[in-house]
Amino acid sequence: MRISEILIFIVFLVVSLSGCKKNDDTDQTPPTIDISAIDAFPKHCDTLYRGETFTFIATFTDNEGLGSYSLDIHNNFDHHSHTTELQECELWPVQTPINPYFLIEGYEIPNAPQTITTHLEITIPIDIDQGDYHFMIRVVDVNGWQDMKGLSIKIL
Amino acid sequence: MILLLTKVVFSQQYEIFGKIINTKGDPVSGAIINVTPENLHSISTQNGTFKISGLKRGHYKIVISYVGYKIEEQSISIPNTANLVVTLKPSVELLQEVIIEDHHASEKRREESHNIEIVNNQFIEQNLGGSLMQSLRRLPGVSSMDIGAGVSKPVLRGLSFNRVAVAENGIKHEAQQWGADHGLEINQQTISEAEIIKGAASLIYGSDAIGGVINLKSISVPMENTSGGNLLVSAQSVNDQIGSSLNIYGRKTKVYFTTNGSWSDYADYKVPTSVVNIYSYPVQLNNNRMRNTAGQEGSVNLTIGYKTDSLHSNIHLSGYFSKVGFFANAHGLEPINVDRQLHDADKRDIQLPFQEVKHLKANYHIARTGKNHLLRFDLGWQHNLREERGPYINHGYMPETLPDSLGVAETLERKFIKNTVSANLTDQFKIHNHTFQSGVQTSFQKNEIGGWNFIIPEFTQIQSGAFIYDKWKLNEKVLLHSGLRFDIGHINSKEYYDWYKSRILDQETNDTTYENLQRATNLNKTFSNLSYAVGINYNLKHFEGKAHLGKSYRMPTAKELAANGVNFHTFSYDIGNQNLHPEESYQLDVSGEFHYPLWAFQLSPFVNYFPNYIYLNPTPFFDFEHGAGNQIFEYHESEVIRFGGEIHGHYKIMESLKMGVIAEYVFSEQLSGEKKNYTLPFSPPPTLLFSLKYTPNITDKFMGTYFSIDYKLTGKQSRIVPPEFETEGYSLVNLSMGTKLKWNQQWVHFTFRVNNLFDKKYLNNTSYYRLINLPEPGINFSVSVKIPFTF
Repeated sequence: MRISEILIFIVFLVVSLSGCKKNDDTDQTPPTIDISAIDAFPKHCDTLYRGETFTFIATFTDNEGLGSYSLDIHNNFDHHSHTTELQECELWPVQTPINPYFLIEGYEIPNAPQTITTHLEITIPIDIDQGDYHFMIRVVDVNGWQDMKGLSIKIL
Repeated sequence: MILLLTKVVFSQQYEIFGKIINTKGDPVSGAIINVTPENLHSISTQNGTFKISGLKRGHYKIVISYVGYKIEEQSISIPNTANLVVTLKPSVELLQEVIIEDHHASEKRREESHNIEIVNNQFIEQNLGGSLMQSLRRLPGVSSMDIGAGVSKPVLRGLSFNRVAVAENGIKHEAQQWGADHGLEINQQTISEAEIIKGAASLIYGSDAIGGVINLKSISVPMENTSGGNLLVSAQSVNDQIGSSLNIYGRKTKVYFTTNGSWSDYADYKVPTSVVNIYSYPVQLNNNRMRNTAGQEGSVNLTIGYKTDSLHSNIHLSGYFSKVGFFANAHGLEPINVDRQLHDADKRDIQLPFQEVKHLKANYHIARTGKNHLLRFDLGWQHNLREERGPYINHGYMPETLPDSLGVAETLERKFIKNTVSANLTDQFKIHNHTFQSGVQTSFQKNEIGGWNFIIPEFTQIQSGAFIYDKWKLNEKVLLHSGLRFDIGHINSKEYYDWYKSRILDQETNDTTYENLQRATNLNKTFSNLSYAVGINYNLKHFEGKAHLGKSYRMPTAKELAANGVNFHTFSYDIGNQNLHPEESYQLDVSGEFHYPLWAFQLSPFVNYFPNYIYLNPTPFFDFEHGAGNQIFEYHESEVIRFGGEIHGHYKIMESLKMGVIAEYVFSEQLSGEKKNYTLPFSPPPTLLFSLKYTPNITDKFMGTYFSIDYKLTGKQSRIVPPEFETEGYSLVNLSMGTKLKWNQQWVHFTFRVNNLFDKKYLNNTSYYRLINLPEPGINFSVSVKIPFTF
């Protein structure tokens, strides 16, 4: 019996010692997207208007430094769901896209700051389909950690 | 047959000597000899001989057991017994499990300096999981990367994808192993033996064997003048799987055949939760089932062979088919419009998105045994077709609807066709105490693509290698190994342009133009490499020590060189790197094993260094040029150090009760590059497994009865790289039991297993669905019945 006891002890020792080592020297923290500020825009279930210019305001934060962010606005006429917000917005009936709006752009964040608040002006064309859209925000830090937020919006 | 001799050691103590040989007169090594009631054990040596000492005058029962033969019992009386002759009869139900080369696990482990595990189909039967790798992952250092309940990739000490070579019947299995959702595409019911080499093994197996080799045998040669087969029926509860497999074999004297047909069908698998959070969005499950993960798998095999004492040749044909659904809420760039009514109406149907695989093989094998030579030649052809099917979704600048002019089915996202021809020639010859093995290997493959979505270009690849390997038997205890190999490979990948036009905005003039963007350029690369290995075995009666130092290599894959597309499962945009070098790896493996009749203990550490590990690095940028808006991941090289190992021990508490322990640990760290100090992706957490196995001898009607319980502890994995998440530790309990019941002159096998007994909800760091927080399968009952027959 003694041998097996020693054996188990060795195993425990090895596993407990080795399992504990953490990545102390590496960044393990993803950036965050904050749209809780009063002036943040758009928020979940907000409405944008065709032919008008709005300012995208959101705060990005990271412990080491921000790399870039991207925006992706595309139609949700088929009611696919990838909002990251828990609250459901009221959707229009399913519609067939004719000239849906979409925007996919990436924006580098120079000098890797730990926090920025965006003030990005975006003009929505006048001739696009009205209806439900998704507004996807992604931010990535200098080490490649990512955060994503998907909002449901309407464009009227 | 057993020959017994007794010898008087001194006045009261006697020794018995014997020899175990098979029906052909060849010595049988590794057979277990038990003497009761004294409870003395011995194992036959390489020459088939054994010795048991310490016997007193009296009557004993001697029991000899060996895989493939009936258990033999003899009564002996000391000192009267001498020159006793006993005929060992092959056991009918295992007839076809006798392996071609007649090498056996223990013998091979003593003669190879690699860290090696060898198991047969009985192990698979007792540890049956949803896929071959799930059945093998109980072995130390072996794990699986699962895509749902029925598809998995092999992982050896944390390395996977193209870093583990899989060979079947001597021919390297070529599929789409670079892909994250690609499974092994081998039906576990057809496997008669699996040999797992952990650690660098490029010397014999060539490129890709950098992390190890899974060497599978699906052909077993029946004994002379036998014919029969077996029918296996199995079922699992977690995914309502039902499967069956029919084997038939026959042999006169020289000509034999074996054939197998298998089919398995399973429903959406169950998880111990009704809601899963995918990127913080809660997805409701129907009856705890993972929507649309049902699947089907089938295979047919036929081998026709000719075998004499000096010549063995066969032709092996096989076909494999599988169709497996992807979890409907988590496939694609946008978790698609999930029609719950459609998916939840039937748990067995496979709706879009799904993957479909066909793999055909034709192999010719010939081996000639001369006086000092064993010459082998293998020629193989393989065809692998894999399709990813999903509804058409326009990403970026792709048109809203798929134009008919493209001539691509609307549901065909991606298609990969691989045709491979390979040939191996090896000669094994003996000069004095040296056993040399030398060979040449060559393979050619052509890869074509299809579908409306692009990730890797079409390519052709040719690889050739030559090696020489020497096993030098210095004395009865020491074996020295050394080997050298040279490889040369060429890859030619083709350019690719988008079939649709993207908007290009000129920053200076603000003009907008539309272009078919180029995603891949023509690429011609030649790689060459010299690999080598040295090793030693030191074998004592109760100790086996080994060490192996080797340099291995791997040619960069077409994906690593030329990928340019969205990986749907990680929300990443993968970009290849044309400047990659062949990946090299230096590995030192050491292993020491003590084994006594009552206990055994093995420690096998390793250390591994990569000067240029090819790593898919997440960058701080997004792609918007190609209209996807995903994070860009680029292949680059970094220095990597890895170390770890396994501990394996067992102790016989009683004759029929054995406890065991297996521990596994791997540490990896990148020493240079963008992710310096980070680990590698999919790092397996440390694990510790305790097992208890009870093998009673109830009555003569039952044989091989066992009850076993496994308690597996898995540690927390906090060493992660972007975009992974920390994974909490967990503990699991698995139960397994089985017996063989005599029915109609045959031993019918019954097995029953319970995996995840307490229906624990846990996440697995090496699972494909880990990134979207999907828990692993819940409690799973599985049963199987195997009925052998002869005719």
